[in-house]
Amino acid sequence: MSGHSTWPEWVYIGVVVALLVWVGAESWNVERLIDHVPADAEVIKVTGQQWFWTFEHPDGTKEIGELHLQKGKPYKFEITSKDVIHSFNIPDYVVLQDAVPGRINIVWFVPKDTGEFPIQCREYCGLIHYNMRGTLYVEDTA
Amino acid sequence: MVLEIQKPRPIWQIMFSTHHTDVGLLYLITSLAGLFMGGALALTIRLELFLPGSQIIADSMTFNRIFTVHGTTLIFLFILPFASAIGNYLIPIMVRYKDMAYPKLNAIAFWMIPPGFALVWLGFADFGWTAYAPYSVISAPGPAADMWIFGLKILGVSSILGAINFIVTILKCKHPDLPLSKIPLLAWAYLTSSLIMIVAMPTFAAALLMLLTDRLGVSGFFNPARGGDPIAYQHLFWFTFHPEVYVLVIPAIGFMYEIIPRFSRKPIFSHGSGVAAFILLSIVSFASWAHHMYATGMSFTEKTVFMVGTLAAVPASAMHVFNFLATMWGGRIRFATPMMWSVGGIALFFSAGAGGVVNTAMPLDFITHDSYWVVGHFHLFVMGTIAFGSFGFLYYIFPYVTGRMYNEKWGNIHFIVSFIGAVMVFFTQHVLGLYGMPRRIFDYPPFPEWVAMNQFASIGAMLLGIGAAIFLVNMIYSAAKGKEANMDDPWGIGGKYYYPYQQKNPHH
Amino acid sequence: MLKLKILKTLKYNLKATTEQLVMRKIFGLLCILTILLVIPTVQYVLAAGDAPGEYIDRRVEIWNLFFRLMTVAFVIGAVVSGTLIWLVWRFRESNPKAKPTKYEEAGEWQK
Repeated sequence: MSGHSTWPEWVYIGVVVALLVWVGAESWNVERLIDHVPADAEVIKVTGQQWFWTFEHPDGTKEIGELHLQKGKPYKFEITSKDVIHSFNIPDYVVLQDAVPGRINIVWFVPKDTGEFPIQCREYCGLIHYNMRGTLYVEDTA
Repeated sequence: MVLEIQKPRPIWQIMFSTHHTDVGLLYLITSLAGLFMGGALALTIRLELFLPGSQIIADSMTFNRIFTVHGTTLIFLFILPFASAIGNYLIPIMVRYKDMAYPKLNAIAFWMIPPGFALVWLGFADFGWTAYAPYSVISAPGPAADMWIFGLKILGVSSILGAINFIVTILKCKHPDLPLSKIPLLAWAYLTSSLIMIVAMPTFAAALLMLLTDRLGVSGFFNPARGGDPIAYQHLFWFTFHPEVYVLVIPAIGFMYEIIPRFSRKPIFSHGSGVAAFILLSIVSFASWAHHMYATGMSFTEKTVFMVGTLAAVPASAMHVFNFLATMWGGRIRFATPMMWSVGGIALFFSAGAGGVVNTAMPLDFITHDSYWVVGHFHLFVMGTIAFGSFGFLYYIFPYVTGRMYNEKWGNIHFIVSFIGAVMVFFTQHVLGLYGMPRRIFDYPPFPEWVAMNQFASIGAMLLGIGAAIFLVNMIYSAAKGKEANMDDPWGIGGKYYYPYQQKNPHH
Repeated sequence: MLKLKILKTLKYNLKATTEQLVMRKIFGLLCILTILLVIPTVQYVLAAGDAPGEYIDRRVEIWNLFFRLMTVAFVIGAVVSGTLIWLVWRFRESNPKAKPTKYEEAGEWQK
């Protein structure tokens, strides 16, 4: 179409593709790591509904709007919703997964710092979506 | 010139016309109305979010309605009609034909837009432009929700009809001496984006119908209690709307292909590369839709597939950037207003794309999903690339449409103010997302960083608003009283103002 | 014909040398950066275990990936925007070094 040499463009595309392959490979690797749930992770059932979070510990204890966990232990969240789609999010620990009615989604983490961390909803769910918040309390192991 | 303000034509003549220049003008006016109305909603949102607590919006439901109508309006009632406007004006000229292939269908496609516009605005739904089930089925207040569904149904049909017209005109009505490979890149942009549109849009039409029947209670497509799956809606929605975002951006890239070579006084570096990039993009755009759904509980393999599909679309866009830079290299560039907008658009296009690559890295979605990072990212595309490209092209086509020149100084001021404003709002929003602020929220806890960044972004938004006001005044005043343009070469750059301005509009 | 083609290619090369060299240097730096960042990661990955106290911290993994990608993105951003700014500066009409393109003499550069 034009008389210009096209090899600079091919080199350029080669570099772009190489970079993208690198991005893909790195991402795949990290995802693989964080996807693997430890066998001894304690299961916490998380239920989202308009407009609050409820948590159930393995021993049956329930908490509403607050979640008390122990530092250094792995926890696996089984997340679902009672009505519309919500999204369970603890930004400080990069925990995020949608709460979808009719299915249970999994995400796991280990809280390595003690303290209080906000929990928020990350999927529009109506009137009080903006304030569908909670608090995670991480305490030292007793 | 179809809009010679000093020699006005009767309005009914334009309204009932089927000539492509008149239909183009109607689309243009409608799209600008959409731009300003949707933009006003954006300014309202940014004013409200200036501080935590309620500022000018009384309650969260009003806020939710405002961001929904803002998004819906700017996509369906500005970007798409604006692309149709320019397509209508220029496609017949670019392929050397007398009108569109189906002039009456063309007019019908346009006239479906005002009812769609009215339904969306009179309804003012609240579920976000994405209308996810089950919220949109069981929790969104009607009749707003139903009106939105009907409005979008109509707009979708209009888009499909317009796309058919464009495709047939380009492929079947082009001049026999003009090979397809030689039609301008802007025409290729319209061909590929129209092809994407007719493949992708019907899926959304189905999704809308399913939403409606679910709302009426006669079906349970997205209701788990009736065996349905809420995530199915998201698949249907994004199968349309991921390719659709390419439908939005491809014409803007096409606009830049018109402006950059002309104002650089050189031909495009590689016409073939541009064509290849458009074709590649339109095919690969269908391979990435579920990257919007990484947080819904997809398996590792599914996420990987869509990450690869998303990354595969990047080289095509990179080819366009290379083409633009290589065209400018060695040129003698006149930085008139259209050129400034195009160059600014390339810079923001690149930033938007870079942010997108970060988004698509699967693990990083856990940071960015449904946060202000996403808002900043897509606005860099829709404002930074598409609106900038559109403004540039509007200034470019202004003499063609009105026979007069816009005010160059104010056009440049508009660009500078808008570029600074866009960077202030949208780059900041990326960082705000990293700090965890979710999107679609009326109020936020008073974390000092969130407050500071929201304020900075709101100031940027006000700059964008000022730019828009300058633009409006410039357009109206210059159309009525601007200096008459030298129609052979409005900017005095040499070469020919490519499109012959004597359109044989039958009413002139 | 072939000779002409080769000469044409070479001529193009000579003109572009400075920018290409700079660009090549930057991409070379990029490759080095990449390798430097990948090797530690791979080692870390292979070392992670599953016993108490050895669980991976998802925050750390994810943010590390983010910063690695950001480094690369900003390097490329610097190259692209640097090139764009240089182009805009060097080839503006008002530059004393500006000369008409060979298409201007022909009078038309639209197809």
